[in-house]
Amino acid sequence: MKHIFFLILLNIILTASDINLHKVKILETIMQEVTLKTQKLIWSDNQDLLYKLKDGKKLNIVNNCESANLIIIENSNILKECKNKKIFVLKYDLLAEIKTSFGALFWKKGRPNIIILEPRINQQSIKIKDKLNPYLEDRIW
Amino acid sequence: MVKKKEFLILFLLLLFAGFFIYIYVYIKQTQEEIFTRIENNKIQEISYIFHNIEKNIIEENNINTTNDLISLLSTQKIRKEYEQHISLISTPSIKYVYLLVKDERGRFRYLLDASQTDKANFFEKFDVDNKKYNDIYITKEKQVIRQKNIENLFLTFLYPIKSNGKVIAILSADITTKIRNTVLELIKPLEMFFVILIIFIFLIMIILVMQIFYYILTRKKIFTDPLTQIFNRNYLNEIYPTINLRNYSVAMLDLDKFKIINDTYGHKTGDGILYQSTQVIKNSIRDNDILIRYGGEEFLLFINSRSNDKYTLDVCQRILENIYNHTFSVEDNDIHMSVSIGLHKTPHLEKNLHEALKIADKMLYVAKSQGRNRVIEYNDTPKKENTEKSIDINFVKDAISENRVVCYYQPIYDFRNHIILKYEALVRIIDTQNNIIPPYQFLDLVKQTNVHYKLTQRILSIIFNKFKNNNDKVSININFSDLINKDIMKKIIDSLKEDHNLASRITFEILKSDEIQDIELFKEKIKQLHSVGTKVSIDDFGSGYSNFRTILDIEANFLKIDGSLIKNIDKNEKDFKVVKSIIHFAKESNMQTIAEYVHSKDVYDKLKELELDYMQGYYISEPKEDLQAQNNLFA
Repeated sequence: MKHIFFLILLNIILTASDINLHKVKILETIMQEVTLKTQKLIWSDNQDLLYKLKDGKKLNIVNNCESANLIIIENSNILKECKNKKIFVLKYDLLAEIKTSFGALFWKKGRPNIIILEPRINQQSIKIKDKLNPYLEDRIW
Repeated sequence: MVKKKEFLILFLLLLFAGFFIYIYVYIKQTQEEIFTRIENNKIQEISYIFHNIEKNIIEENNINTTNDLISLLSTQKIRKEYEQHISLISTPSIKYVYLLVKDERGRFRYLLDASQTDKANFFEKFDVDNKKYNDIYITKEKQVIRQKNIENLFLTFLYPIKSNGKVIAILSADITTKIRNTVLELIKPLEMFFVILIIFIFLIMIILVMQIFYYILTRKKIFTDPLTQIFNRNYLNEIYPTINLRNYSVAMLDLDKFKIINDTYGHKTGDGILYQSTQVIKNSIRDNDILIRYGGEEFLLFINSRSNDKYTLDVCQRILENIYNHTFSVEDNDIHMSVSIGLHKTPHLEKNLHEALKIADKMLYVAKSQGRNRVIEYNDTPKKENTEKSIDINFVKDAISENRVVCYYQPIYDFRNHIILKYEALVRIIDTQNNIIPPYQFLDLVKQTNVHYKLTQRILSIIFNKFKNNNDKVSININFSDLINKDIMKKIIDSLKEDHNLASRITFEILKSDEIQDIELFKEKIKQLHSVGTKVSIDDFGSGYSNFRTILDIEANFLKIDGSLIKNIDKNEKDFKVVKSIIHFAKESNMQTIAEYVHSKDVYDKLKELELDYMQGYYISEPKEDLQAQNNLFA
């Protein structure tokens, strides 16, 4: 009986963590396709995401915003010191709210959507690889 | 061998398990069928509405291209109006309804979104993850996407908005898992019931398999003799109803003089001998032969003789030789053993296995009585078959009650004076087909039973009656067990104490002196025989164990030398010397000597060289129903 309960619980946990896992994988892919002038040092205000990205060992993750040059955020209240970093957001609305954000990964109607704003990456000297071209947008709609 | 019942239960459980698995799969299939029907029904419903919306947008606004549509819906007011229209189909089961177009770069964008939650902006990009979004532009047909990775979504329905035969936009509806979940919830108890049932049946099956496993283990214990690790007698009872006797010969094996080993070296050594003997026998037989410890030092062997009839006798000879040549080393003692074997090669001709075993046992007895360490094979002629088949204790009982017990008489010959000294009375039974049955065929069956005592009493009556009114002398064979039987002793005393004449002409030949346990009691009984005036003779002297002291004490009148010493005396110098010594011992002890088994002229002539008193045997005369006259001897 114990085993059956464990299996049910495990299934629930796995199902629940599916989107998060998906998100981490997509983010890893996006970030690998983005090139800055200097080495990418990434930080996120989502602690869970930060740990997972760290575990993935595909990106250089730092423990605080100040040490990073690229930050992934899902809240608009970022530190003043971090406002001039390259910003990638996790909500569509934040793209409009944070004027310096260059891209977003967000879920709309249960589906993942990626937007990379072409004017902003050009402005911030951010290079992207061809794989991200289908997600380039001229403006925020 | 697991009983059929267990297999039947296992088979039925498997059948049930199979049936319930089938039902479970059937329910699953039905579930899918329900989903498909719901899906089709829902799609049909949405399709009608979408068709009306399409008609309304295209025809009322004269839309020809995608750009016409984009420019129409660029106006927020019109967009709101249409979003209100399409939002009417939003229900708890239809979560999102939206209109998509493909831009010049091939990316999909929202034109309308009537969703209550997660609403997209006008012309916001919609990243597609399924090729059906592009297929619809080619096929121009409705498309259904079964969602697997999108949370809470069951399927997405794509409807092509066409103008002039071209697809210019897609109306999309996302249907939630709500219906699916409702169906699943409805079916769940039933599904659960079958899952529990299947688990339950599998648990019972596991328990049953374990039971069968333990049953096999227990069976092995029940049917295995702990000392020798071969089958025990329980196994014989188990195979009794099913064994096909046509495939087997039956052999009874008995280790010779095993009792002496036990008495001399102790039971531990006896057990060691039994174990080693079993190993020797096992190494002498094949895997398809069945060896059973029948009891004590007695073994029963079913020899599979289907393939080769010669093998049966060969295997018995091999066992005989291997046991004889084996040195049994037990507890620092090197002991040599021999085995006697009674063999019945055609047990299927008998009424049942029990009868076949009786015959094999009888053959074993013959092997023992002929000097041990030999195989005696049952040679059944059809006539014998008919008679011996029915011999059992009831055969003897019936013979007594139906007066079919008779005595034959063999002369004991005084060769010096050429006269018949006396006659030895030998029992026979006439069977219902008038065959004369010799004693070796029935005496052992009734030994130590009440029937034996009745038989002895009957024999005594026959002999006393026969010799009461003549002057001939007679020898009567009697066992120690008969002498200690009160009824028999009473009959002897009562019949002879008043008839001195008859008593003086009777000699009691005491059989098998080695079986006498209580010497003092034996002496007392012999004394009683002497007291009524009968004579006493020691039978079979020279075979087995003979207690000289006891023989001297009982003051026997005659000493009958065992036939095994006589039959080859003309050829065997050792036998000659032994017999000579016995005669010397008898003379010294005032006993007259009788040689039995005088079967040829050579033996007769050889014996004449000795100081023997009397002779008896087929050469002189075979036993006859009537008393033989002197002139009929040597016929």
